[in-house]
Amino acid sequence: MKKILTPLIAIIAIGLLMFLPFYTGAYFLHVVMTILIYMTLSLSWDMMLRTGQLSFGVAGFFGVGAYVSIVSSANFGINPLVSIFLAGGFVALIALALGFVVLKLRGIYFAITTLALTMVFSVIIRNTPRLTGGASGKVIPNVIFQGDSSKIYLLILALALSTILISEMFSRTRIHFAINSIRTDELVAKSTGINIFKYLIIIFIITAAIQGVTGAVYSQQYGFVSPETTFSLDFLLLPMAMALVGGIYSTWGPIIGAIILGFASEYLKLIMPYGHLIIYGIIIILIILFLPKGIFGSLKSKKQSSN
Amino acid sequence: MLNFLHFRLNKTFLIFLAFLVVIAIWKPIPLIYGLQRGGLYSLIGLPLALILGIVGILNLAHGDFLTLGLYIGYIFFTQLGLDPLISVFPLFILMFLLAIGIYQISIKYVLKAGELNQLLLTFGISMVIIELIKIIWTTRPRNIYTPYASSSITIANFSIGIYEFIYPIVAIGVLVFLQLFLKKTFLGQASRAVGQNPKGAEIVGIDTNKVYLIIFAIAFGIIGIAAGIMLPRTSIFPLSGNAYTLKSFALAAMAGLGNLNGILIGGITLGVVEAIVQSIPGYSGWSDLVFFGVLIIVILIRAYRGSKS
Repeated sequence: MKKILTPLIAIIAIGLLMFLPFYTGAYFLHVVMTILIYMTLSLSWDMMLRTGQLSFGVAGFFGVGAYVSIVSSANFGINPLVSIFLAGGFVALIALALGFVVLKLRGIYFAITTLALTMVFSVIIRNTPRLTGGASGKVIPNVIFQGDSSKIYLLILALALSTILISEMFSRTRIHFAINSIRTDELVAKSTGINIFKYLIIIFIITAAIQGVTGAVYSQQYGFVSPETTFSLDFLLLPMAMALVGGIYSTWGPIIGAIILGFASEYLKLIMPYGHLIIYGIIIILIILFLPKGIFGSLKSKKQSSN
Repeated sequence: MLNFLHFRLNKTFLIFLAFLVVIAIWKPIPLIYGLQRGGLYSLIGLPLALILGIVGILNLAHGDFLTLGLYIGYIFFTQLGLDPLISVFPLFILMFLLAIGIYQISIKYVLKAGELNQLLLTFGISMVIIELIKIIWTTRPRNIYTPYASSSITIANFSIGIYEFIYPIVAIGVLVFLQLFLKKTFLGQASRAVGQNPKGAEIVGIDTNKVYLIIFAIAFGIIGIAAGIMLPRTSIFPLSGNAYTLKSFALAAMAGLGNLNGILIGGITLGVVEAIVQSIPGYSGWSDLVFFGVLIIVILIRAYRGSKS
């Protein structure tokens, strides 16, 4: 029964989501798009975390993807849709090159090096004004699909759904044994003959590419990039917060977290235009203090202990 | 007498001295700028390194507490007419007490929860501080004027501020105080023990919780001092201190955990290199790469060494 029920619910949910633009207003659609963007980043960050590597490079890959897409479509006249794939490919190449170096690091050093790389990317972009517009940023005259928000929505939805699919593949196929063993005990994993580095770099490249594509979609949606906003640490810290609130090491955690924090922040923005982020910050602090496993994680362990 | 400073004439220190001499001959003006700026980096980096080295928490709100200190100092100056250099004392005490409060209501509970929760908690705190500042003081930049802070000397067409020499001097003062505290007092020795091996320290009867609390309070007090000192020469806005968080961590990572003297050497080296890059016409924007580039290189060298041994 349960085996049929889950896919059925998934299909109904996807169907409802696909036709969302036809029965909601522009504002609600915009909120959902923002949440889906953050959800994608959150999931991709969590996928990397499952290997035990805390990556702070999300904002960096996001920013590079955004710039590749805008620059290639504005300077070289490449079709925006193609430019998004180009961004993904470019970021994947960067991740491949960097991965050989940074994946030798562990723990807080990996985290900080990836954060420093984010800063390096933004400095490079700020100092190559001929290509990137420098500190003032770059605007494209036409946003993707001529700004048709329902088409942009479908694009973002497709991105989010494929990320969920990849995340599920990571936790269901053979690869998840490798991922889990790297996280729990690397030495044991090594001694049982798992090629740790191969898996690490594959996951690093895939998650970086997802982040790059997300950045590209986001920048095409707004038609604007600038070093401050595009490389903003918000694109790192909010996804992290979402995954933690929902529960890490799972597909459901980041999804739940993104929905809760996404709607919470929008609602707070409405009732409290100034300083709503204070409450957001307090929510994060309280969750960390009282629900360290996150919402999904706590529910799951409760269910396990009652069985 | 001065052996507590423990600047052994090791390889690093000799290279550092040689580096300074070479720069003094090649580019004396950037050297002076660099010394001043590097002093400030070290002063701000020390408390972060202290917390990271002993408590083991990377405080992402580090720079935001500095900003908070700047605003409090600003209030002291505008409301009470307190000179920034005198306000260093009340700032130290205020930040000391604030640290106790923050530790007791939040940090205490994530000490055992793992790096991630700690990072997220301090990120949450950082967000709350920035937003509070925005609500209370708006985002309008503020400056204060003190006559002594703008005095300068002119050497070969370059005008160099005299006030900024206070940064390296105070940084060295704070470093000496910290080394004395860590080596000569019981509490300091206990905290070094806790920094090296918390479980072992607990077994021999050290109250780790108390040690963490004191280290937090002292580190925050130093942030207060840094805020008071930099107040006359800094533009105060909600993100003033933000840039220092990562730079401080870069210094701590470079020096290695627990190596406070290394913060001073690293801070001044990077300050000087930054000033040199900035003095090259047309490339001043690249100076930001210095910190991050060096950080990445140092971490990687460490990693390769670590994997060999």
